[in-house]
Amino acid sequence: MVLSWLKKSLEARAGTAVARGLVIFTTVEEAMKAEKVLKKAGFDCKLVAPPPDMRKGCDLALEIDLVEQTAVARTLTGRVSFMGIYPCKGEMEPLQVEKVTRFAEHVMIKSGNMKLVFDIKTGVIVNISGGGCPDIPYLYTRLVGTHLAAAPRPRDEGRTLCALMLDRALEKALEIWKGVAPN
Amino acid sequence: MLIAGTVPVTDMPLIFGRVEKEGKKLRVDGHYLPCTQGTMAMVSAALATTCHLGLEPPRVLLAGDIGTGKGSRLIYQYLIEHIEELAPRVLALHYCLPIVTLMQKLYTAVEKCRPRPVLIADAGSMYAAKAAGVAPHFDIFTPDPSEIAFLADPEAVHPAYISRHLFEDAFARVPELIKHAYANGGAAKCLLVKGAVDYIVKDGVIVDEIKEPDVPQMECIGGTGDTITGMVTAFAYAELELEQAASISAKANRAAGQRANPTPATSVAEIIDQLPVVFRENLCSWSGICTR
Repeated sequence: MVLSWLKKSLEARAGTAVARGLVIFTTVEEAMKAEKVLKKAGFDCKLVAPPPDMRKGCDLALEIDLVEQTAVARTLTGRVSFMGIYPCKGEMEPLQVEKVTRFAEHVMIKSGNMKLVFDIKTGVIVNISGGGCPDIPYLYTRLVGTHLAAAPRPRDEGRTLCALMLDRALEKALEIWKGVAPN
Repeated sequence: MLIAGTVPVTDMPLIFGRVEKEGKKLRVDGHYLPCTQGTMAMVSAALATTCHLGLEPPRVLLAGDIGTGKGSRLIYQYLIEHIEELAPRVLALHYCLPIVTLMQKLYTAVEKCRPRPVLIADAGSMYAAKAAGVAPHFDIFTPDPSEIAFLADPEAVHPAYISRHLFEDAFARVPELIKHAYANGGAAKCLLVKGAVDYIVKDGVIVDEIKEPDVPQMECIGGTGDTITGMVTAFAYAELELEQAASISAKANRAAGQRANPTPATSVAEIIDQLPVVFRENLCSWSGICTR
């Protein structure tokens, strides 16, 4: 039953709208080029007129699935210049608050809904907790057991806002490990 | 009981079947999967619970997804088209890309089922249910403090975009955030808010608080929230009232953590390994469910 259904389903891809975000550009040309780049990379996106309060650049914006913000930014960077990515409602910037909890031999960094834990003596990542996006269990397998300085960056390998939060936790952990930030 | 969610395996197809434990791994439809953070930790805890209760093992619907949403879409679409014939008494949705339109369609499909399944959501599926405006129609959510802040924030479309003040105070203001979540339509009928204190909530009223044993290292361990949701799902399948299922699950998770004597580096599999003993020693007194 599953296999026959799967074949049919792959031919007729489901609707994909999630909570939406807008990529804002300086020029119409950049917006149109970005649409081509993202569609070629498999993203669902469409050109729209940004609402008046979000009209920072040109009169054309690209509507995307906001949860994929991390992957969209990575795909556009170096190819098309854009001013920023913003949710269609609510806070305009992702949360940037990290909380640090110290255990006897480990340090836990919380960033949004994500937590990263490393061994204070070795700098090895020992656990990742929290989050709900499907790239987080994948990033768990990639990061846990690796050294902070050698770990792949979630912003490079993940795709979602959970990955962005995890990247911020990793960044803070690196600061602590290098002695730049107080722990 | 049907548990649906993604697993971090590139290109793993959609699979469906009853889960079995083989050694340290779980086997579903010929695929062997480790008990790691996310859907498989949830499934492992649900399986440990059904084993103890003498119930049939959970049915699971899984697909590989490392963040592209490909496996998530397969799961949503399969459930939308087949939920009536699958006819689960309890449907638990877990790690999936939060896709609002597909969650709305799934909710519509579930509402046509007779009898309607008990609806449980955690992780990305909970984010999708809130963003789709169908949270009050779910029977139970299992958020952590940052996620209850998300459910309480009517504007937030993802926990990464909750208001800074809500996040900063979340851990100290959980009861207040619970009220906001219900007032704003972001909560399910029942909540289990997992944290230093586990709050069990029914229709906006806190009916139980579980604080002991306190094992702070548990917060570090990826998957220890997933295990709670897995147990809740299994106890709901055993026809316990949801608030009782939630209370027992929270207690069992803490007891398993204490027995494992964890460090922040402990794996969730080591916690789950303790569940059979915890159930044997405590479930009868906690719930009146006394198995041999």
